[in-house]
Amino acid sequence: METAPAANPQTGDELLVVEGVRKYFPITRGIIFQKEIASVKAVDGVSFSVKPGETLGIVGESGCGKSTLARCIMKLLESTDGRITFEGRDITKLSRPAMRPIRREMTMIFQDPYASLNPRKRVGFIIGEPLEVHGLGSSNEIKRRVQELLEVVGLNPEHYNRFPHEFSGGQRQRIGVARALAVNPKLIVCDEPVSALDVSVQAQILNLLKDLQDDFGLTYIFIAHDLNVVRHISDRVMVMYLGKVVEVGSREVLYREPKHPYTGALLSAVPIANPELGRSRTPIVLEGDVPSPVNPPSACNFHPRCPRFVEGHCDVEDPPLYSFGNGHVAACHYALERWPMDADEIRRPGERTKSEHPEQPLPA
Amino acid sequence: MPLLDVKDLSTSFRTEDGIVKAVEGVSFTVEKGQTLGIVGESGSGKSVTCLTIMGLNPKRNTITSGEALWKGDDLLKMKPNDLRQVRGNDISMIFQDPMTSLNPVHTIGRQLTEAILLHRDVTKKVARARALELLGAVGIPRAQTRIDDYPHQFSGGMRQRVMIAMALINDPDLLIADEPTTALDVTTQAQILSLMKTLQEDFGSAIIMITHDLGVVAELADDVFVMYAANVVEQATVYDLFSQPKHPYTWGLMGSLPRLDADVERLTQIPGQPPSLLRPPGGCRFHPRCPYVMEVCKTTVPALKPTPRDPNHLEKCHLDEETKEREAAKLLAVTMAEAG
Repeated sequence: METAPAANPQTGDELLVVEGVRKYFPITRGIIFQKEIASVKAVDGVSFSVKPGETLGIVGESGCGKSTLARCIMKLLESTDGRITFEGRDITKLSRPAMRPIRREMTMIFQDPYASLNPRKRVGFIIGEPLEVHGLGSSNEIKRRVQELLEVVGLNPEHYNRFPHEFSGGQRQRIGVARALAVNPKLIVCDEPVSALDVSVQAQILNLLKDLQDDFGLTYIFIAHDLNVVRHISDRVMVMYLGKVVEVGSREVLYREPKHPYTGALLSAVPIANPELGRSRTPIVLEGDVPSPVNPPSACNFHPRCPRFVEGHCDVEDPPLYSFGNGHVAACHYALERWPMDADEIRRPGERTKSEHPEQPLPA
Repeated sequence: MPLLDVKDLSTSFRTEDGIVKAVEGVSFTVEKGQTLGIVGESGSGKSVTCLTIMGLNPKRNTITSGEALWKGDDLLKMKPNDLRQVRGNDISMIFQDPMTSLNPVHTIGRQLTEAILLHRDVTKKVARARALELLGAVGIPRAQTRIDDYPHQFSGGMRQRVMIAMALINDPDLLIADEPTTALDVTTQAQILSLMKTLQEDFGSAIIMITHDLGVVAELADDVFVMYAANVVEQATVYDLFSQPKHPYTWGLMGSLPRLDADVERLTQIPGQPPSLLRPPGGCRFHPRCPYVMEVCKTTVPALKPTPRDPNHLEKCHLDEETKEREAAKLLAVTMAEAG
């Protein structure tokens, strides 16, 4: 029978399994006797898994916890709760030295190509540093490897001795990619790698990432706020809202038949570069702003903005991730019956969501 | 008479390294109630064009030529005092970053009323009432209390609404919006864009919309021009631009856009980087990156000329019409396949 990979991850061949990860940042009062008065629930119980060779896209608006989640996976932040398993090994509680060999297997590409490269180091050093840290080869071997990497990402190997400021934004992002590739990782976490770039340069980097995946069999976790970009690069897509997963599905299904009203609103809000198509639809305009993660709304935290909010249900009972088959899951009691829907249709709450496998209600 | 008639506008900046030509020979008109979109990548000169019209470039190192006729008067030759009467009153501007374009130490009420008090002979009470009215119009809840809040108490989308309220407060005839939604999330962007559409219907202002996002242009603009390296390379109505693009750069932009309405395995990328405006390439500015480059492109600057079919569709390319139609059709076959 079919299982939902997002919530039911144990099939054995996953590269990365994340279960119930939470990250709360404490808000304290007092200088010496710091008392925790509240916490920012940046990531609140997220579970998913990634198979080798696939690309999982994570979309959400600013403040939904997608970058914090990336940092928890990379263990740049200690998660408050939950379990992260990489290649069958629980890495949640590993110490820094014990974590070090695993850092060879998972690397990261950062958003801002201007801030993520040390301006006082030469490009050769920046790309070669991970190799040095992990003791992979003599200085001559490292130099050869760096020049090879520069070639792979489409830069001139002779630019080995240049400084970051001598490169344009797109070229800098290529340096970031080369650095992430240096240690031959299995998993690369890309945190908004193209959002700071112009469209034409963005296309170059997206094509490069796809080529590298084919050549080296890489697995990506690709975080972005641009739904078009995520659709282009991902095999599966996970939508987050206020620290929680609202929907996961394969790229085709999620964009063709979104089930969660938030996913629907997001899709309808994306401007389409086609005036005839774009103007013929009426976007579902959400009211208000994303609430504060310090004091998120009760139960389904989307309910104050949701067009199909049902009082006495959505604000009381936390929706589990209902399954819609083939690993498509959505956390909504009144999932969308079809798509596209316009703003009026969406306001008529339909039937209660039933899981395709009601005998196995999936945990949130 | 058009509201704004810009003729052969050029702007250069004197820098330590030499003269940077940021805008070269741009001409366009804006009619009442029209929305004009300017698309281009960073450094293409789209913002500088508008800053020049508004007289907001630093005087010290800017060289400007051409004309920008506002209801017949040349904005570029106006005395600073006269220009100040136009700016913020007849023409107003929304800037990209709502985080940095509001003054953090004044309440938004004070910043909103400043514009009215400068241009109108009214009491503070009247100005405040007008500010409240506008805050309501742009959809700020509890405007009565929020008017005395400081910018940091607002979210990004709310600040952008305040900026729009501020720009509209004197009922301007022309609103220049410089990337008004770039710093915002998609759902907030949708809110702001639909707000701008309704406000335009209510107030009847003309809008110049500067953006790098072809999607935003497709949603909002009536006419569009595409800029590349300080030049206009194509100019058309929004429907023509998207259904019959004529310039290789426009093709490149459209092809490199990942989109929701079509499946493309590989994006068509434009090779290379945008050129330095300090030493731009000779001939057609786009020739080093153009896949259709010919010998003539390297030496001769093509003229911005109407296409044979439509006198209002202008483009700047040496390619023959037949190739253009074929290539445009090829591109559209891919990107519009699912749109039908």
